[in-house]
Amino acid sequence: MSDADSPHDPGVPDDEIPDDEFEPVDVFPESELDLRSGADDCYKCSTCDTNCPVAEVDDEFPGPKFQGPEQWRLKRKDDREIDPSIMDCSNCMRCDNACPSDVPLSQMHNEARAEYVDEQMSKLSVEYWRNRVLANYRKGAWLGSKFPRLTNALANNGPLRKLGEKLFGLTAEREFPAFATQTFREWWAERGGAQVQSEEKRVAYFHGCYANYNTPEVAKAMVRTFEQFGYEIVVPEQGCSGTPMFANGMLDDARRDAATNISSFSELIDEGYDVICSCTSCSMALRQEYPELFTFEGTADVAAHTYEALEYLRIHEDLRGALAGAEVDGDGEDLAYHAPCHARNQGLARQAVELFRDLDGVAVEDVGDSCSGISGTYGWKAEKYEKSMAIGEEMFEEMDEAEGRTGMTECPTCAMQMEHGTGYDIRHPLEILEAALVES
Amino acid sequence: MGATPSVLVIGGGSTGCGIARDLSMRGLSVTLVEQGNLTHGTTGRMHGLLHSGGRYAVADQASAEECIQETRVLEDIASHCVEETGGLFVKRPEDSEEYFEQKLRGCEECGIPTEVLSGREARKREPYLAADVDKAIAVPDGAVDPFRLCVANAASAQNHGARIETHAEVTDLLVEAGEVVGAEVTHESGPGTRTHGKAGTTERIEADHVINATGAWAGRIGDMAGLDVNVRPSKGVMTVMNVRQVDTVINRCIPKGNADIVVPHETTCILGTTDEEVEDPEDYPEEEWEVDLMIDELSKLLPVLQEARTIRSYWGVRPLYEPPGEGTADSEDITRDFFLLDHADRDGLPGLTTIVGGKFTTYRMMAEDISDHVCDRLGVSASCRTAEVPLPGSRDERVLDDAMDEFGLTSPVARRSKQRLGDRASEVLDTDGPNPVICSCEGVTRAEVQDAIDQSGTDLNAVRIRTRASMGNCQGGFCTHAMAQELHPEYEPGQAEAALDELYQERWKGQRHGLWGEQLSQAMLSYALHATTMNRDHATRSAAGSRTASDADAGETVDFEAFDGGAPGGD
Repeated sequence: MSDADSPHDPGVPDDEIPDDEFEPVDVFPESELDLRSGADDCYKCSTCDTNCPVAEVDDEFPGPKFQGPEQWRLKRKDDREIDPSIMDCSNCMRCDNACPSDVPLSQMHNEARAEYVDEQMSKLSVEYWRNRVLANYRKGAWLGSKFPRLTNALANNGPLRKLGEKLFGLTAEREFPAFATQTFREWWAERGGAQVQSEEKRVAYFHGCYANYNTPEVAKAMVRTFEQFGYEIVVPEQGCSGTPMFANGMLDDARRDAATNISSFSELIDEGYDVICSCTSCSMALRQEYPELFTFEGTADVAAHTYEALEYLRIHEDLRGALAGAEVDGDGEDLAYHAPCHARNQGLARQAVELFRDLDGVAVEDVGDSCSGISGTYGWKAEKYEKSMAIGEEMFEEMDEAEGRTGMTECPTCAMQMEHGTGYDIRHPLEILEAALVES
Repeated sequence: MGATPSVLVIGGGSTGCGIARDLSMRGLSVTLVEQGNLTHGTTGRMHGLLHSGGRYAVADQASAEECIQETRVLEDIASHCVEETGGLFVKRPEDSEEYFEQKLRGCEECGIPTEVLSGREARKREPYLAADVDKAIAVPDGAVDPFRLCVANAASAQNHGARIETHAEVTDLLVEAGEVVGAEVTHESGPGTRTHGKAGTTERIEADHVINATGAWAGRIGDMAGLDVNVRPSKGVMTVMNVRQVDTVINRCIPKGNADIVVPHETTCILGTTDEEVEDPEDYPEEEWEVDLMIDELSKLLPVLQEARTIRSYWGVRPLYEPPGEGTADSEDITRDFFLLDHADRDGLPGLTTIVGGKFTTYRMMAEDISDHVCDRLGVSASCRTAEVPLPGSRDERVLDDAMDEFGLTSPVARRSKQRLGDRASEVLDTDGPNPVICSCEGVTRAEVQDAIDQSGTDLNAVRIRTRASMGNCQGGFCTHAMAQELHPEYEPGQAEAALDELYQERWKGQRHGLWGEQLSQAMLSYALHATTMNRDHATRSAAGSRTASDADAGETVDFEAFDGGAPGGD
């Protein structure tokens, strides 16, 4: 036992690296963060639990207070086990918004989930691969969009969907979103990129996966609207924002794509560009999750320069003035607006309602502050589908009671859920803005 | 006199419980009396360090050697009370290089394994260590839960036939024909487990030999027989952090000093300590500067402490002793060695032995020494087995991960339950009814609370030390009432309420020393919750009758019939 005979020569330097270099706090191996000190902020008021949509419909779910500060505080360095209930968290992040004391709840959940997937989930299980595929939606979408018509036909073939549920745990209740016959990036290349040049007004567009492969009309609306206001737009190389990866505990995948995104966009920021997102979960990831989880050079810069598209225009342009004289063709369309949870966390829950209040031709009605329940990939999982729909019930009812028969939201998966629950068409605020301001 | 010699042990700290276990395992008839609950005195107010001996390796090598030896024993016999965290002696640039070398040599001389780490290597182990820490010596320090260890010793003694009486204060020593023959004891609520509201009784307990193991209180017991036992109580503050900043014991590598240690303890870190002589072990000032000193000084090792949340502070008194005539001026310099005072030899009064001084880590060895001595006096020849036979809870190292799955607990709660209960986990957690978490800060379930109530009656502080319920960041704000609720229906509502008040006061006693930042928010929230939902500030009078603090003191019970049963069918 005694190593009394080992050489004790404290004067000998053991390595070449100077000690005063920055050393991040990595208590747990493999770059996992020690978030126990985050529990210092919690005084256990349970406001997070009362705002958790999963806890509301699932009595078995212990809630964000347990998942976050309590579970972390009970941890010792050698403790590797995370409670499996972490996989029932939908990552809506409403707990972050609810907490009166700045407990880093979603960060704690993200880290714990990643640890759970790394250490406890079998890499041979169907669940793991189902989640991996869902989390890496971009890869599948890339392939699917090569043959959009074929993919769309196959994806919504009834028997195939049933088989998908049985073998792969993807709910057969939902219809897959259609792939566009031309991706946004293809369109962008075809039109020859930016049509407006500017030294002062420059934005770099983070379109994310969905606007590229599935709803290029949203991305095009962004481009046309921003160009109308005189912005020079670049569409740099980019990966997934990471949102579905965080939600599935695939932090390594998220880290890989974040490295691409941060390197790509931080260079542009140095050239005077700001980062614009049309998806509120993408902007959330760049703004909040990146600095919480990653330490790449430029992470803080990207976080500080990222905006949601409408938010950016409201800050820098006289949008209200521009809209005062505008109108949307049609006979007074009524829109049932749902604010995505991730938009709410960024303080954007009311912007579309406020912005379009005085716009002729549309009437926007806020359907309340409930969660849509789909939370990205969550509602696509066969075992989560019922829960997802139970959470969405309040929103469906509110939409049903609203005047309009068209919905509006910034989030692509909230849009899926709204459509799935009500059958309404769902629009993006950028599309309304384009209709009002851009000459067609 | 019966065939089995009888011994009365006064004091339910680590030494007393250790002696009770040792002697009862040797077949003697043992009674242990303790004025509060177990660990009430110094044992319950230590920092939880299981000494490798490193701290004594320069100045007191005999103690250091005992420590490393006993630490190894406890790792075996008390595995469920011990966490083998390892420890570091860290050197800051301004700390003496010469002393660092002395420490290293001293450890080697005492057989304490060491490893020298560069500052960078030390920070790799403990990332919150200050960037300018030069280097460190790694030693096998550990963390120990003194409550659990004491309770396990007492339980073992009981299993071997001992009688353990808590809340039983010795009011006089019985001296007959120039010999101590027992003690007069006042039971706060009669013999047996404590029961609030039950009348007290007095009892004469006779014994062939009496052992005074009352630590800092030893002088008082001595006084009862006109003996001069000059204990020099010395106070030290401990400050409890909300979370673990480190998972290794951090000592500062300096000769002596205040505020030089951080011990990871269960879910928390404990900062210690000071060393200041006091007159009275029960009445001494608890001062704010002492707490500030802990945080300011230890921030030099762990800068994160400056911003971190503290949940409470507490003070303990060391039972330091030195033989008459030594006259050491500074209490820090008084030896940590223990002394066995045979009053027959020393004062011509047979029947009584006092044990003073010493330290927690070597409690078992002290108990063995005094048990040998008493057996010798009583003509009993039986050898000590306490170093070989594991304590209840540590009898089977292979605890049952699979078995834990059956209890339907979330992973961290199952893990903590297992760490606390050791091999008793299955037995305690195997209940028929629902088993909700009562204390969510520490992950304590109803089954564990009920198990503790079985052991200790209505004394919720005794439940606390057994389970850690109410020892987390809310300091009882969210669980003390739920713990009290567990006393019903076995006990009456009035008893549960009195027990709740007592526990809540105890929690407040320490928490009031941490009232800034987050803990202040916590205390305000707890206050508001207790005031508005349970009227515990006695602010309003119900229609059913007056309810004021003085009424409560007068023992007036709440008229529960006056409350409605909630809105029928409401949600």
